[in-house]
Amino acid sequence: MNIQTNQPASRLTAAETALVDAFAAQIGELPGNGAVTGTRDRLLDDLKKAGLPTRRIESWHYTDLKNLLRAVPDRVAGAAIDPVAALVKGATVLSILQGQADATSSINGVTISAFRDQLTDGSAMAGLTALDKDDAIGRLNGSFVRDGLVLAIAAGAEIDAPIELQALHGEGQIHTRFPVSFGAGSKATIIERHQSAADGAALVSSISDITLEDGAEITWIILQQQGAADTHLAQIRAKLGTDAKLRLYVVNAGGKLVRQELRIEVQGEGAELTLRGVNLLGGDTHTDVTLVLGHNVPHTNSTETFRNVVFDKASGVFQGMIRVAPDAQKTDAKMACNTLLMSDDGDFSVKPELEIFADDVICGHGATVADIDRNHLFYMMARGVPENKARGLLVNAFVAEIVEELEDEALVEPLEEIISVWLDKHA
Amino acid sequence: MPAVQETIDQVRGIDIDQYKYGFETIIEVDKAPKGLSEDIIRFISAKKQEPEWMLEWRLDAYKRWLTMVEPTWARVEYPKIDFNDLYYYAAPKNVTGPVSLDEVDPELLRTYEKLGIPLREQEILAGVQTSKVAVDAVFDSVSVVTTFKKELQKAGVIFMSISEAIREHPELIKQYLGSVVPTTDNYYATLNAAVFTDGSFVFVPKGVRCPMELSTYFRINEKNTGQFERTLIIAEEGAYVSYLEGCTAPQRDENQLHAAVVELVALDDAEIKYSTVQNWYPGDKEGKGGIYNFVTKRGDCRGHRSKISWTQVETGSAITWKYPSCILRGDESQGEFYSIAVSNGHQQIDSGTKMIHLGKNTSSRIISKGISAGVSQNTYRGQVSVNRRAENARNFTNCDSLLIGDKCGAHTVPYIEVKNASAQIEHEATTSKISDDQKFYAMQRGIPEEEAIALIVNGFVKDVIQQLPMEFAVEAQKLIGISLEGSVG
Repeated sequence: MNIQTNQPASRLTAAETALVDAFAAQIGELPGNGAVTGTRDRLLDDLKKAGLPTRRIESWHYTDLKNLLRAVPDRVAGAAIDPVAALVKGATVLSILQGQADATSSINGVTISAFRDQLTDGSAMAGLTALDKDDAIGRLNGSFVRDGLVLAIAAGAEIDAPIELQALHGEGQIHTRFPVSFGAGSKATIIERHQSAADGAALVSSISDITLEDGAEITWIILQQQGAADTHLAQIRAKLGTDAKLRLYVVNAGGKLVRQELRIEVQGEGAELTLRGVNLLGGDTHTDVTLVLGHNVPHTNSTETFRNVVFDKASGVFQGMIRVAPDAQKTDAKMACNTLLMSDDGDFSVKPELEIFADDVICGHGATVADIDRNHLFYMMARGVPENKARGLLVNAFVAEIVEELEDEALVEPLEEIISVWLDKHA
Repeated sequence: MPAVQETIDQVRGIDIDQYKYGFETIIEVDKAPKGLSEDIIRFISAKKQEPEWMLEWRLDAYKRWLTMVEPTWARVEYPKIDFNDLYYYAAPKNVTGPVSLDEVDPELLRTYEKLGIPLREQEILAGVQTSKVAVDAVFDSVSVVTTFKKELQKAGVIFMSISEAIREHPELIKQYLGSVVPTTDNYYATLNAAVFTDGSFVFVPKGVRCPMELSTYFRINEKNTGQFERTLIIAEEGAYVSYLEGCTAPQRDENQLHAAVVELVALDDAEIKYSTVQNWYPGDKEGKGGIYNFVTKRGDCRGHRSKISWTQVETGSAITWKYPSCILRGDESQGEFYSIAVSNGHQQIDSGTKMIHLGKNTSSRIISKGISAGVSQNTYRGQVSVNRRAENARNFTNCDSLLIGDKCGAHTVPYIEVKNASAQIEHEATTSKISDDQKFYAMQRGIPEEEAIALIVNGFVKDVIQQLPMEFAVEAQKLIGISLEGSVG
């Protein structure tokens, strides 16, 4: 009776066709043993069958990738790109230039290797899966990934100097992966930096696969400064063990089409997640940050705060789902998403979700979208600060507040600098 | 809650088979054969003595419905519905024009009595001289009796069944029916457009404040009868009307489908207040039986400074799929949504609202309170969207969920879409159990535990109960009590 009229034999879009063609062209040279190649085939086949996600897929409701991803650039091999200075003074830089990892550095307490080796010997298999049937990024990256950095931080190691994973690229296709494991009781600060070093459109897919063993205390900072023509499809997969503490800071300040998925599973009692995000959206960017946070065991805490500023014709999305599993009693999770919408041409969509299957929990979320508070503006203008400047100061304070929570001046200062420069350019 | 052990035991022990209103009335029924086809639609239309254009309207909807696919996005699970295994028309036999209540089948009156519906004016007015409630009671699919018609006529208010309105006021029906929920709107709304059997029609002319609260009691009675009401309420410039809808249904083994459509139109300066108390049969303790409630309710604030306010208390139905919405088209129009959704046993609720801000200086307010117990799933799903040209839109949303027992689920899925920088949107949601501190505070003052919990739950839903008209507030509180019996005392 219910005639299915809306699902004709699926036709591939130009971008989908380009991806399928690119895979056919590259499969011969993609690193990987038989099992890896088989998995790549399957992932691409799934991608081809499902197509790029549309807004009919709930988790992609506000980012119709099929429609938004118009073209896929060709792969550009061997572009000459030079590393840039470290974000934080004294940090150890491990670079991935145009998708090619340099794993020659050494850090005491850290084992560093190139992901291409794991592909070749097949040990990368475990992570090469898509997380669910709508995981387009997992499929895309799993099909095409060539390299990346594998870090193993030894149990008990305390790495003082931040480690910067510096991913720089020019135009073309770049697919990278960063499996990083933190041993029990280890302490470290990682800066994951994605930056465009040249004009021309790039399609970047990147998956960071982070495991925190029991009691590890980690600060992980993501700084995304892609070019104005770039597509950045990223996924952070994180698992937290017993009493592990993850402080995850995300700053998005670039890219034309950005989807950043944070898939975090809290799996050990006493674990704690502090997630902070700043999204600076200008020009005609479409930036989507999607969080799926699972509290899977009793006695875990998390707080999430996102601050977004929207200028020009930018369009922003924040989806945040907190899932509390049955029996995950005493979960305490709080999420807030505050947006300053500065332009009538821009828009912002928020979908904070709570999915709760345990009763003894305290979970909440708040979301606001508004312009700058007139009273705040009046307060400053009454003291002789011109309107423009007052607005600038207020916007700056609105987002800078978030990175200040890092407390460590060495980390806060360069991030504040990036925020100020960005705001000067767009405000 | 680390619910004290007794509470947990009692929740487990709740026998919702004891559904207070689960009984069946034995009355002869005039029924169309099972199944859905053009012929059935012609049959319904002929039974209703509808004009040709109405039949065409229904058939168009039916053709459209055949091409549609059942929506699956809601967080509800149920076996596939066989739409050809349902009756689409059932009417109490002796319906031909009772002029007074005395002519109504006494069996039917007794049914209402058991439900506590104040059909007789004397009963309604007992002790409450000033509050008159007109009842357009729907028993299965046909309006049986309408009271207070004369007084309403004096004020110029038209209040009748929609089938009568189609015959007597075709111009109003043609102008407004389907103008808020088009026949193409969604799967269930389209089905309703094809097969709706009855419902209420209210028209409040310019400048008139409806002299009394209007109310309809729906009751599904006949086995396997899908009930498809269609309600249309129009408030002209400066008019005001408050409409109450309450539902109870008898105990059933087989699932019953209910797909109603409610359309509200408010012109300049008009205000419509629509209140619902829904306590249809939720199924037994094994999750067997119960009503499937797939409803499309939408209000259109078409005029400037108009206001539409939805208040709902949802305690019944096995499955509830319901999103009363407001389209804020007129400048300075206002939309409100107040909701209490209580789920127990195996109930599944996916309910919320949509506030679509289109006009300038529009404002909306959403207060939603969900209470889950047993092994139920209770989802708030709501949308607030601010159009590019909707200057100075304001929204405040508050959804709180309370969990009783560790086998149930409470979910919140708000969608917030803002395209105008002058908008000010605030959303907050919390999920928790009853706080031990609150309970301790009450118990320390000598209040027994179960009573303390009841007190706290009452406080939790107070914001919404206050929005209900007096007559309903009492019933609603009673219902919440019955629904959570055992778990909150």
